[in-house]
Amino acid sequence: MPRLRTLLPYLLLVVGLVLFPLVASTNLVNIGVYVLIFTVAAVGLSLLMGLAGQVSLGQAAFFAVGAYTQAILVTKHGWSMLAALPVAVAAAMLLALLVGVPLLRLRGHFLALATLGLGIIVTVVVRELDYTGGTSGIFGIPKPEFGGRVYNTPAEFFWLLAPVVVLSIALAQKLTHSRIGRALGAVNDSEVAAECLGVDTSGLRLRVFVLAAGYAGLAGVFYAHWLAVVSPEAANFPLSVSFLLMVVLGGLGTVWGALTGAILVETLDEGMRTLIPQIIPGASGEVQLLGFGVVLVLVIILVPGGLAQLWSALVRRFRGTRADPGVAEDAPAALGEELDDLLAQADVPERGSPILQVRGLTKRYGGVVALSEVDLDVHAGEIVALIGPNGAGKTTAFNIITGVMGPTEGSVTVRGQEVQGRRPHVVAALGATRTFQNLQVFRSSTVRGNVMVARHLRSRAGLVPGMLGLDLAEERRTRREADRVLTATGLAAHADRPITALSFGQQRQVEVARALALAPSLLLLDEPMAGLSSGERDHLGEMLRRVRGAGIAVLLVEHDVAAVMALADRIVVLDDGVRIAEGTPAEIRRDPAVIAAYLGSDEDDDAVVHTRSGPAREGDQR
Amino acid sequence: MTDLLQLTFSGLAQGAVYGLIALGFVAIFSVREIVNLAQGEYAALAGLAAISGVAAGLPLLVVILLVVPFVVLVSVLIERVAIAPVKKMTPLVSIILTLGVSTALKAIMLLVWGPEARSLSTFPGQNFTVAGVSIRSQELWILGIAAVLGYAVVWFYEHTLHGKALRACAEQPVAARLVGISPRTATMVAFAIAGLVGAVAGVIGSPIYFASWEHGLTLGLKGFVAATLGGLVSFRVAFIGGLMLGVLENLVAGYLDSGYRDAVAFIVLVLVLVLRPQGLALRGSGVRV
Repeated sequence: MPRLRTLLPYLLLVVGLVLFPLVASTNLVNIGVYVLIFTVAAVGLSLLMGLAGQVSLGQAAFFAVGAYTQAILVTKHGWSMLAALPVAVAAAMLLALLVGVPLLRLRGHFLALATLGLGIIVTVVVRELDYTGGTSGIFGIPKPEFGGRVYNTPAEFFWLLAPVVVLSIALAQKLTHSRIGRALGAVNDSEVAAECLGVDTSGLRLRVFVLAAGYAGLAGVFYAHWLAVVSPEAANFPLSVSFLLMVVLGGLGTVWGALTGAILVETLDEGMRTLIPQIIPGASGEVQLLGFGVVLVLVIILVPGGLAQLWSALVRRFRGTRADPGVAEDAPAALGEELDDLLAQADVPERGSPILQVRGLTKRYGGVVALSEVDLDVHAGEIVALIGPNGAGKTTAFNIITGVMGPTEGSVTVRGQEVQGRRPHVVAALGATRTFQNLQVFRSSTVRGNVMVARHLRSRAGLVPGMLGLDLAEERRTRREADRVLTATGLAAHADRPITALSFGQQRQVEVARALALAPSLLLLDEPMAGLSSGERDHLGEMLRRVRGAGIAVLLVEHDVAAVMALADRIVVLDDGVRIAEGTPAEIRRDPAVIAAYLGSDEDDDAVVHTRSGPAREGDQR
Repeated sequence: MTDLLQLTFSGLAQGAVYGLIALGFVAIFSVREIVNLAQGEYAALAGLAAISGVAAGLPLLVVILLVVPFVVLVSVLIERVAIAPVKKMTPLVSIILTLGVSTALKAIMLLVWGPEARSLSTFPGQNFTVAGVSIRSQELWILGIAAVLGYAVVWFYEHTLHGKALRACAEQPVAARLVGISPRTATMVAFAIAGLVGAVAGVIGSPIYFASWEHGLTLGLKGFVAATLGGLVSFRVAFIGGLMLGVLENLVAGYLDSGYRDAVAFIVLVLVLVLRPQGLALRGSGVRV
């Protein structure tokens, strides 16, 4: 049920859009039309930057493709505006798909630079082709006409656009709060953790990139009809910069920011165009770029969150800050029966059947061998511990098994499928997930939000259902299930708190709860005991026994040798990337190779400290 | 055949300009993982400033000695004003920041020099013809100066202690500190070198193309494409990549359609990123978790 607080901004927007043409001068309404057109393109870009964490410096290229396609269909082929519109939008999206497929696999800067190049190439192509009218472009695009009424004054066109803008914002806003939005938000916090929970990062980024292009194409359609002419300038660099500025100024990642950003940038644009020639006589051309550049730099340095950041600071001051109730250090609640319900969701094969098989796993970095010919098996319903001094290759093995990195040689088979070299989300889809030695929680979310991400693979709603609000029932279910996981793991009291408000040990527990929320058949835990109080350790140990009892396979890397000895069914010992021993805890205690490895590595002080109380002493007694 | 030689030779000269700009991208990226979108602006700025200097009647050598340090200073100032204050530098933030700087520089050049493109007078020398290939003296100047400067930069990074320490700075700040280089200094030096190669590229290149306020965008993109060939970390491959790109562009312009010259770089970029995103010369890189 949508509450008043979420509806209020839309109500204000609608009232504002209806009233504006009535009170403003024609000149101002004319600017308002451009604001609305550019808002649509900026909303798309804000999704790309905020959700997908990617920058496009060529949003104008998609804008131009939409505008040109519309212009060609309408003027050369006699299509009506409404018939041409979906084709024009689809053309922009298709281009994004073609460019995005190869580029979105890459990190960081490449999409930005490639889209910058795309802007140039689109400009070049439309300028060179006769079909697109060369440098002068395409003329004579008619004003929209519906039901015998031509929308040719600024006010009429403004009102025609208004519902499009409201809808654009509402759909985008809904998307950020959907399953897809949550997953991408998690990716922005920790890509590796999100992927290990089954989030297909590059696939989702591609979809958002294509969606953003669709928004730009739609804006281009209205631009073509309003201006009546489309020229190569529509794909130009300054326009891409102004789209980017709108998003940055309004607030990265906020959909509403795109609107406020568009208003401000258009005002700045007009202002600079009139102001600069007055200060510097004879200045002509795109002088407003000076303002764009300076404002971009200033905003990023001074208020990286843009206007949205200023706004929320203002709201906080007005309301007074609500203090966090402090980090409660209470002992975790007893494990509920919910845990068994949750574990029953895991699709586990018969006890003792192989879940994970690692054969001949080797990882070399140049001349350094991190892992050499390692074999490892984990069966349903057993806890296997992987121990060894620091630098023995335990975390490397984890990373290769979960798809975080590829091996140099060897195979990893999860539930009968070879997964070496595949992405982490593929491994997660087979039911294997993990926690991290260096805590990887989704910092911008709550405890419940963290756990909800882990239900990604257990829910389905895609981009379009998320935007249209067809996912409400599923979202409620996901939320309920996340709460059950929190109850089951004794964290329910913290559900609504920001994850960062929890103590280190509690955050680790959330990480384990999150991994369990996937209902995995193979659970990999990388030093889950580190930083936990002794009460918390007992609690975790008890939980892992119940996990094992449910038939789930557990692979554990842990320095706390006492805990390992108490928990594990089998232990595999790595030293310098080589498997030196395997056996039951009792066998490992007596193994001379293990004792030698631990005692012989003085530089690994951390491991030695732990082992002095463990197998080493046992060895001395013998 | 003569056509091919002719196009290849003049392409090499053009490519040497891209190669120098590419070195600037690598210099900054290898220290801070920032792609400096203002890199092309340095060349445009140096070109325009040199044109004004020569027009004011100063001897060419004096102009060069004034313009190059000026652009180096601009680059270092940019680092101090726009890059240094940012605490948490992500790819997203660095792109927006350097785009802002680049846009502001463009606008300043537009305000100072106006919208029309202009050309620097060629350096002294005679054009001549060898085996039917006409060789402009300016192209020899470009190739000579670019080769010397390119070699010097590569030599600095690969053979001097300070150069090696600069590159190590990103991964091993402690080691870099041991030879007296803090990450702060390293970033400033990287921007200075980027300014130097950009400025020299602009001064030697502007007699063969038209310098204008918006020319830095395409120059920068082409330099970036060349740098991408070396995975953004290899100076050698970046420079050679610039030469190759220049030749390829000239062949496309000569044999197909000169209008599509600027599209070549983009197609090369996409192909490289699809086929070998880690660059042409390098093995697979390490992993961060």
